[in-house]
Amino acid sequence: MTDTVVITEVSKWFGFKVAVSDVTISFGSGVTGLLGPNGAGKTTLMRLVAGLQKPSQGKITVLGQDPREHVDVYRKMSLVPEDEAMYERESARRFIQTMARLGKIDDPVGKTEDVLRIVGLTDAADRPLGTFSKGMRQRAKVASALVTEPEVLLLDEPLNGADPVQRAELIRLFKELGAAGRTVIVSSHVLAEVERMADRVVAMVDGRLAAVGSVATIRAAMTDRPRQIYVECSDPRRLASALFRTEGVVGVHLEADRLRVEASDARAVADHLPRLAVENGVRVTDLQPADESLESVFRYLVGSR
Amino acid sequence: MITLLGHFFRRMLTRGRLIGLIALSSLAAIVVWLSQGGEFGRGEVYPTAVTTAGVTFAIAVLILTVGTLRDERDGGTLPYIYMRPIPRTGFAAASIAGGAATAIVIGVGAWIATVLGSLAGGVDLSETFAGLSLFVTAAIGYAAIFVPLGYLAPRSLLFGLGYVVVLEQIVGFMVNGVAQLSIWRIAVSIYADIAPTVPSAMEDVLGPVTPGVTDGLIKIGIVLVVGWLVLTWALKERDAV
Repeated sequence: MTDTVVITEVSKWFGFKVAVSDVTISFGSGVTGLLGPNGAGKTTLMRLVAGLQKPSQGKITVLGQDPREHVDVYRKMSLVPEDEAMYERESARRFIQTMARLGKIDDPVGKTEDVLRIVGLTDAADRPLGTFSKGMRQRAKVASALVTEPEVLLLDEPLNGADPVQRAELIRLFKELGAAGRTVIVSSHVLAEVERMADRVVAMVDGRLAAVGSVATIRAAMTDRPRQIYVECSDPRRLASALFRTEGVVGVHLEADRLRVEASDARAVADHLPRLAVENGVRVTDLQPADESLESVFRYLVGSR
Repeated sequence: MITLLGHFFRRMLTRGRLIGLIALSSLAAIVVWLSQGGEFGRGEVYPTAVTTAGVTFAIAVLILTVGTLRDERDGGTLPYIYMRPIPRTGFAAASIAGGAATAIVIGVGAWIATVLGSLAGGVDLSETFAGLSLFVTAAIGYAAIFVPLGYLAPRSLLFGLGYVVVLEQIVGFMVNGVAQLSIWRIAVSIYADIAPTVPSAMEDVLGPVTPGVTDGLIKIGIVLVVGWLVLTWALKERDAV
């Protein structure tokens, strides 16, 4: 696999705030998911690769060239920005045609019709973008990025606002592009979304790389993580004493009228809990993960590196 | 570049803006029209009208051109046009040209209003053509300043107002060197050289700036080149979002 996007020791800070910290990574053909909670630095990294922002430190090359220095790179690279903003008064057709002309491609009119068909917007193409739903806007943005047939496609949260059918269509499209040898980098804060389209995942938190690998690797790292579970039941003390003797339980804390269970193997606890409840005559009324946010998972991954 | 220029032109010049800004720029024409038949002579009315136009037209152009790139940056649409294989020199030129073209449209509107106001007072049509040079050169000069300013400064409208009101209208009257930097005075100096008759009271408007087409055009040219260089540098070196 040839690396098309190479990021070397890149940092970006705004005043005292560090948005991206010493990131070194490369991307090649296929779909790569850039995963992380909000504020992790995904958008900043995308903007740096896109040449919209200048690294405070380090170097970025796209197809062997620095996008800040060589604008010709933009013949082969497109971005779907996260911002919802578009040219509200322009029709989708005119918007995409303008992008095609600015991209200096042959047959901008024909290519515009092609991408409108691909994203399913042909019927709505003459409507002003301001009248589009969020999902339709996303598709128009994707079409404007595809019209120049880029080798490197940067997609910042491209599924935001799309309904399930549109999501499935867009995911299929991105996978096809990846399979055709394009470099597709998709940022998202939803693991399940990335899992459906990416061969490789790059996880970020607090501007740093948290994990890089296949989706299976990231999943395994997340499963190994100790977890905390809140259990509400009719007799917390009785259940707590039973849980202490259970495999996979690291600690049990009584908090008001519920238990906070620390587990090294959450799945084992989940398997044993119903049996323990029945054996001890305790009625479990609620079961809640205490720290299941993606952010907490990523923080664990960063800490374990 | 032409596509980009057309994009700016289309996006900036909405019907509402066109009407509102031409109306603002036409206040001078209203001054001329209202003074018809009054006790003041042409020599007294014209400097007032030119000074009024200097403020209202400059503010109208400021409102319009400062948003050429600032609106794209703040609105989040700049990546769509920035990430295109257009050299930054060309991008800067197209931005300033787009800003200037829209400003000229407003200027032509303001000039037509002034012509109508003057004709109502019995002024000969041939005398009004020179006024077009005033609005066109000012539009170009202001665009060369306000388009880069809009890209560089988040509060560009405020800075622009500072330039128009404080620097051009107040400091410019008191400090000789600053007067030479006033786009409006440079434009008036070109107008004063072209116009068949210029009231002597116009000297107050010009201050230390001497009338002359060549000098005026050279100054506007320098402003254009400096604006273009600054914007090119900013596009290359500063973050676009």
